[in-house]
Amino acid sequence: MRVVLEQLTKKFGDVAAVRELDLEMRSGEFVALLGPSGCGKTTTLLMVAGIYRPTSGAILFGDRRVDHLHPKDRGIGMVFQSYALYPHMTVAENIGFPLELRRAIGKPERDQRVREAAGRVEIDDLLDRRPSQLSGGQQQRVALARALVKRPDILLLDEPLSNLDARLRHDMRGEIKRLQKEIGITSIFVTHDQLEALTMADRVAVMRNGRLQAYATPDELYARPRNRFVAEFIGTPPMNFFPAELGSRNGSVVARAEGIEVELTRAQLPRGEARQATMGVRPEHLSIVSPADGNVTGEVYVVEPMGREQIVDVQVGEWRLRVIAPPGFTGRIGDRVGLRVAAERLHFFDPTSGERLS
Amino acid sequence: MATVVAPVPGRSRWLVLMPYVVLALATLPILVLYVWLFYSSFFPRVEGFRPIGDLTFDNWRFLWDPASVPQMRNRPPVIPLTVNTLLFATLTSLISLLVSSMAGYAFSRLRFKGRRVFLGGVLLLHSFPSVTLLIALFVVLRTLGLYDKLVGVILVQTAFALPFGIWIMKGFFDNIPWDLEMSALVDGAGRLRTWWRIMLPLVKPGLLALGILLFVEGWNQFLLPFVFMPSGSQQTLSTLVRGILGEGRFVDYGLLTAVGLYYIAPVLVLFVLAQDQLMRIYAGGVKG
Repeated sequence: MRVVLEQLTKKFGDVAAVRELDLEMRSGEFVALLGPSGCGKTTTLLMVAGIYRPTSGAILFGDRRVDHLHPKDRGIGMVFQSYALYPHMTVAENIGFPLELRRAIGKPERDQRVREAAGRVEIDDLLDRRPSQLSGGQQQRVALARALVKRPDILLLDEPLSNLDARLRHDMRGEIKRLQKEIGITSIFVTHDQLEALTMADRVAVMRNGRLQAYATPDELYARPRNRFVAEFIGTPPMNFFPAELGSRNGSVVARAEGIEVELTRAQLPRGEARQATMGVRPEHLSIVSPADGNVTGEVYVVEPMGREQIVDVQVGEWRLRVIAPPGFTGRIGDRVGLRVAAERLHFFDPTSGERLS
Repeated sequence: MATVVAPVPGRSRWLVLMPYVVLALATLPILVLYVWLFYSSFFPRVEGFRPIGDLTFDNWRFLWDPASVPQMRNRPPVIPLTVNTLLFATLTSLISLLVSSMAGYAFSRLRFKGRRVFLGGVLLLHSFPSVTLLIALFVVLRTLGLYDKLVGVILVQTAFALPFGIWIMKGFFDNIPWDLEMSALVDGAGRLRTWWRIMLPLVKPGLLALGILLFVEGWNQFLLPFVFMPSGSQQTLSTLVRGILGEGRFVDYGLLTAVGLYYIAPVLVLFVLAQDQLMRIYAGGVKG
């Protein structure tokens, strides 16, 4: 089912939590709402769920306008951050609760569908337990089964993984993604974790202060962030930024910053007559070379081995750049090193508005 | 509910025991009273704390042979009075439970106009002594034709019980996470069903504790039945005790203690059975 948000706004008193949000989700798409806490992502989800009433704007499921409908009439299933399992009911009763409310579904069919939903998330052997007797991961599965049992058109997930430990989070990430594709259900999930958003979603909507910052596929968000906020928010370790001056040399445009001078490709050419820019480069697009070979030299500030790679902070003038180095890198604090910049991977942003320049 | 008192290193055993000794001494007079009440009901006469005569069930005759007890002659028999008292206590607590669990839920979860004013008003009502309202209530009951009827007193008692009940229930509902309720709404339940299927079961400890307190309060209530049901047939046990105490020049203490014991026995039993529940009303909260 296609979901469209049109000029969606929610105010709490004078504070606007979500402002004029336009978003369209294709049928069967898995969309992440990503942003720091307080950005309005959960408020948006709760409006789609029907728990909050929008201050203005419209929500459409398919061609049907739903923003005046009660949650129960919207055909949604939802998984809460806390899972919100009913503590006084068994797992089977929890999963069956949404069906219990539908007169048309008799007891035998209900039992059948509860078992089916439980089987899908592999908790068939836990049906008689109470939520308090389950681990976090199992509770999560129960919550998923309960959300899916009534075969909703849309699945909503609010920070579904944030209460799990790191290992389990990784497993569930894959499992939820797979489940979503298997069922082919339009799904929206809220997260503050950019890695979750990138790994799971087909498209990611990045929000800040109630406004949409970018809405694109994970690849595009990573490769061509629309503004500085998105560039900084997506990717770990985060992108390096420093001010640069744009000038021309021999007919081509060059960017100069801290002794780095790089010639820009056609695609990077800024629109308009910008003279100043914030230059951004991801740690993985810098490489450590001998001082003579680099675009710029600096001094190793600290080295953080991560196993598969190392994160090296290099002091260049007054700026400290984060660089990803292979595990074989043996530099020590204080060593002089050269940095080579992958010129075609540089990003340029307007220093005041933060908008992407190219 | 045994508490193990671990000896605190560096402190003498005496210091640890001190609070218990003090509390025991302070409780002693009350205990003595109960013991006295108990055995006086089984002896013909008691002088001071000393029983006179042989063990007897004579004082309890009011139960099986009320005609032979002079003080009982002009009074309704004890069994109907007990039923009245039971009805009174049960109905007031049930109605109060129903209303306060709904009102408590509304105060806890719904944002409506005048919510704060209502909440403040409820608190104010709670601190109102019922005596001050007796005359006004008399007029109201008379106008409604409920004077001298059990129903009327039940309604008055319920009204007095509600402020406390509403606040207690609101506290219990406040402790339930919002997620559970949102989840129920998304799962397809309406407000009323959410209240009934999800919220109420989660505040069961609160309901039980409040129910017991209200029942005991109703059982012990004297002033309202005494004032608003003067004619007899609808009276309760508390008014009977008062009647025996206030009748004639000689008070039959044997009979008085027997009736008194008969009157408090259900409450004592209830307290013993429900201790755990009652503790929770102050602890509060949902156990997952």
